[in-house]
Amino acid sequence: MDVVSKERTSDNALAAAFAAHQAWAFGEAYRRNASLLYSAAYNVLGNSEDAQDCVAEAMARLWRKPRAYSAARGDLRNFLAVCVRNEAISRRRRMSRLRHVEARLAAMPAEHAELAFDDPIERDRVRRALFELPAQQREALALAFYDGKTHTEIAAELGQPLGTIKSRIKLGLRKLASALEPASRGEDRR
Amino acid sequence: MTLEHVGDAAELYALGALDAGEAEAYEAHLRLCVNCAAQAAGAERDVALLASIEPRHEAPPELAKRIEGILRTDASGAQARSARFSWPAAAGLAAAFVAGLLPSLYFWDQNQTLRGASLAQSAAMARLAAAPHRMAVFRTAPGVAPAEVAYAPDGSWYVVMVRGASKTLTVAWMHDGERTMLGSAVPHGAVAMLYLPKSHRMNRLALMDGQTIVADAQLTW
Repeated sequence: MDVVSKERTSDNALAAAFAAHQAWAFGEAYRRNASLLYSAAYNVLGNSEDAQDCVAEAMARLWRKPRAYSAARGDLRNFLAVCVRNEAISRRRRMSRLRHVEARLAAMPAEHAELAFDDPIERDRVRRALFELPAQQREALALAFYDGKTHTEIAAELGQPLGTIKSRIKLGLRKLASALEPASRGEDRR
Repeated sequence: MTLEHVGDAAELYALGALDAGEAEAYEAHLRLCVNCAAQAAGAERDVALLASIEPRHEAPPELAKRIEGILRTDASGAQARSARFSWPAAAGLAAAFVAGLLPSLYFWDQNQTLRGASLAQSAAMARLAAAPHRMAVFRTAPGVAPAEVAYAPDGSWYVVMVRGASKTLTVAWMHDGERTMLGSAVPHGAVAMLYLPKSHRMNRLALMDGQTIVADAQLTW
């Protein structure tokens, strides 16, 4: 909250109202994160119609399941982004529209006229950290994140035991977060 | 999956890499287990970070209207369902609910609230122990528990503490003739705490019991 947004409800108060299942909080949570949520769906599904269906369905599901979110789940924005992504991944699995991992990584645009980014410097830093992961961890993480595959599917595709895949994904994600820790988990980060 | 800890599934869940049935069971467990919920929150933060490098698209305006429509429809649907309810059946159900289920739900809800307060208290204590900070004491109305606020010299975080609090108090930022609600200090043991990560300096905080201001603190910078 800053001077410009002084009349807005604080993020903490919004999260509390969202957890208390207040309708205004659902509407406000969507408005504050509309671009993030729509992008999370669009980047998995690849078209606007499916992305809109996905966000609407994810928000409706949360609205109909009052105890889905609580303070223990942490930042509401992250929670909503993961809910929408997971809904998008489920939809894509159902539609069997999978894309190839390395092609997606290689084709990731550095910049595009139609796109608006929150913080280009931070984004480049995350991308570099991703490429610095050990190849096996990056491969498993990318198959999960970019191709939306389940750990069972990844294990079958890579011909590795399920436990190995779980471990690679977990280590990869934690290593990535750890590499980004100084800026991403600083004093002011919420 | 609802009874045992499933923290090692946090990353898979946040990445969407669990099978549908596994994800559903995991979500059910998260609603009951505050430890696994905290692990899920950490993994969700990491995945959100990864998602931040994805291209960003503006949401179409019609999507906001659609979501508002869902909220309106569901609210009016609930009212309609309520109006169609049969009174004799409702009376029986209500009696059973009050006698049996309601107390359990009440205590479960209280337990969840206290667990949340406990987590918030742990985070606040860690912050107080690890970082330099300033203190300001609240001027309280008669009968109100003593309270103080610890805050970072650069205004990047605040911890409001009410000692011997018996009820939840709301913390408000008083500024420019307005008040902005920041959150609630929920009693847990002998103290109620609220940890507020912020990025600006607040000069005046108040504690509120409902709509009434019961304490006031001036912060110096």
